[in-house]
Amino acid sequence: MFRTEEMDINMGPQHPSTHGVLRLKLTLEGEEIVDVRPVIGYLHRGVEKLSEHRTFPMIEPLTDRLDYVAAISENLGYCGAVEKLMGVQVPPRAQYIRVILAELQRIASHLLWLGTHALDLGAMTVFFYTFREREMILDLFEAFCGARLTYNSMRIGGLLEDVPRGWTDRVRHFIDIFPSREKEYEDLLTVNRIFLGRTKGVGVLTPEDAVALGVSGPSLRGSGVDYDVRRAQPYSSYDRFEFDVPLGAHGDTYDRYVVRMEEMRQSCRIIRQALDRLPEGEVRAKVPKYIKPPAGEVYHVVESPRGEQGFHIVATGGEMPYRMRFRSPSFVNLQALPTMCKGRLVADVVAVIGSIDIVLGDVDR
Amino acid sequence: MADEKDGKTAPPSPPSGPPAPAAAAPAGAAPAAPKADPLKAPVPSRAVDVLKARLPDQVLEVSFHCGEPIVRLRKERFVEILRLLRDDPELRFDYLSNLTAVHWPQKPQPFEIVYHLFSIPKRHRVTLKLEVADGEEVPTACGVWPTANWHEREVFDLFGIRFTGHPDMTRILMTDEWVGHPLRKEYPLEGKPEDHVQYREVTTAEHVYTYQKAPIRGFGWKKEVEKTGVGHG
Repeated sequence: MFRTEEMDINMGPQHPSTHGVLRLKLTLEGEEIVDVRPVIGYLHRGVEKLSEHRTFPMIEPLTDRLDYVAAISENLGYCGAVEKLMGVQVPPRAQYIRVILAELQRIASHLLWLGTHALDLGAMTVFFYTFREREMILDLFEAFCGARLTYNSMRIGGLLEDVPRGWTDRVRHFIDIFPSREKEYEDLLTVNRIFLGRTKGVGVLTPEDAVALGVSGPSLRGSGVDYDVRRAQPYSSYDRFEFDVPLGAHGDTYDRYVVRMEEMRQSCRIIRQALDRLPEGEVRAKVPKYIKPPAGEVYHVVESPRGEQGFHIVATGGEMPYRMRFRSPSFVNLQALPTMCKGRLVADVVAVIGSIDIVLGDVDR
Repeated sequence: MADEKDGKTAPPSPPSGPPAPAAAAPAGAAPAAPKADPLKAPVPSRAVDVLKARLPDQVLEVSFHCGEPIVRLRKERFVEILRLLRDDPELRFDYLSNLTAVHWPQKPQPFEIVYHLFSIPKRHRVTLKLEVADGEEVPTACGVWPTANWHEREVFDLFGIRFTGHPDMTRILMTDEWVGHPLRKEYPLEGKPEDHVQYREVTTAEHVYTYQKAPIRGFGWKKEVEKTGVGHG
């Protein structure tokens, strides 16, 4: 007779498919997953504590380092929160440039996700293709603010400077060629039988579970829940742009892939509208040199490439926040991993981790 | 440490009947006018109306910050209130966006648990607050929104507040054997806790030195050396 028993196995913290330092304690029965317990905190830098000891402008570089593949979304959310707290109205031109930057960042982040997700599933070619285009976006960011990863690109009240001469034409060139490039990735993946076999029906998350577990972003919309902060509670003049919120039907890994691919197209659409209607004028509101928001508190939410990125600031009228809380989408989305993996095989864990697109810097803060 | 001043200067809550008039545009607000306070102007909120109508004795205070209502509640029937907010067909707060805590060491109830709720079908937000004493337990929200699980573990880890009925009250970001709760205000920014004793005596051949440590604007620690006496030699 066979004797069966459950077995505990560690996956990570050094594992190529965990995209950083994530450790999963897997409980297996044969190769079937009985339970998954994520162990996090390996990248905890205490950003919330550090923020309590820094002035408001000094916190922005810290936000770059939370979700380091989508730093502009963090900058946008943080500056938006402080502006809300101070009651500052950002000039329209700055709002539009912020939207262009944030959407370029969304494409760059999704490209990184697509490349590594395909790589995890054994499709290596896509990685080189997506990095080709990601490099173009990083060049655009470098031209704008001099940095390629941690931008510190915005300032409270707007932007530090206007875009350099010729930059908008370069962005336009990029969004002109990008749809054909996206078709290249889709040719490689969308009807690829191996990719379909690894993703269809894998890691299913029902809409009820997704909402109850607080999942947000493409992972939530892959389950068919229509919640996009840009649409639900527009910020930075997102209400002036036309775009669709793509939704999945089954909530599996493949649907999350489809949603992100469509989001990149919608981002191009938003960027095109923003470029066409880019207003003239100032890029920074009149803010005092010494930023001291009045006592109060704010919870500001933006849609980062990973989901709902929240900033909760409690100010007491001083130059530093009394309490700074970063609600990171990766942290909350990772919590849904056990629900998605139970009953599947070990190899599917790799696919599911890839599909919820976590960044460990954002999980651990 | 920042100068403390409890943010309770908010205007009294509006009557629950007709919604407050001004839609409160913080738009062209003059920069930081202390008296006018457009940032704390009340806005109409269904959640506040429903809570005040249904559970008037549980609502301690309603304030508004940056166009969003903040409701301070009593602890006794808290989970029941959460369920009401989630299941009420008018409110439908099905999404717990964020759960965190704030430490106010000077207050009699030093910890403030903050719940940021959002309703995906109705598209509105509300912030709930609960004040607890040090060492007091808070009822868990895991039964209402499973997403509270990790948030509450984080609050326990970083503030040391325990949640009653939580399925897995363990540390999440710090290591299991960590001593102390880093986001408490008395926890030092740098170094290990044992490095932050206020005084330390060092005896050398000639003198006994006393080191005193004091924070300089939170960026570091000042080391004041005082030569106090003669050692042996």
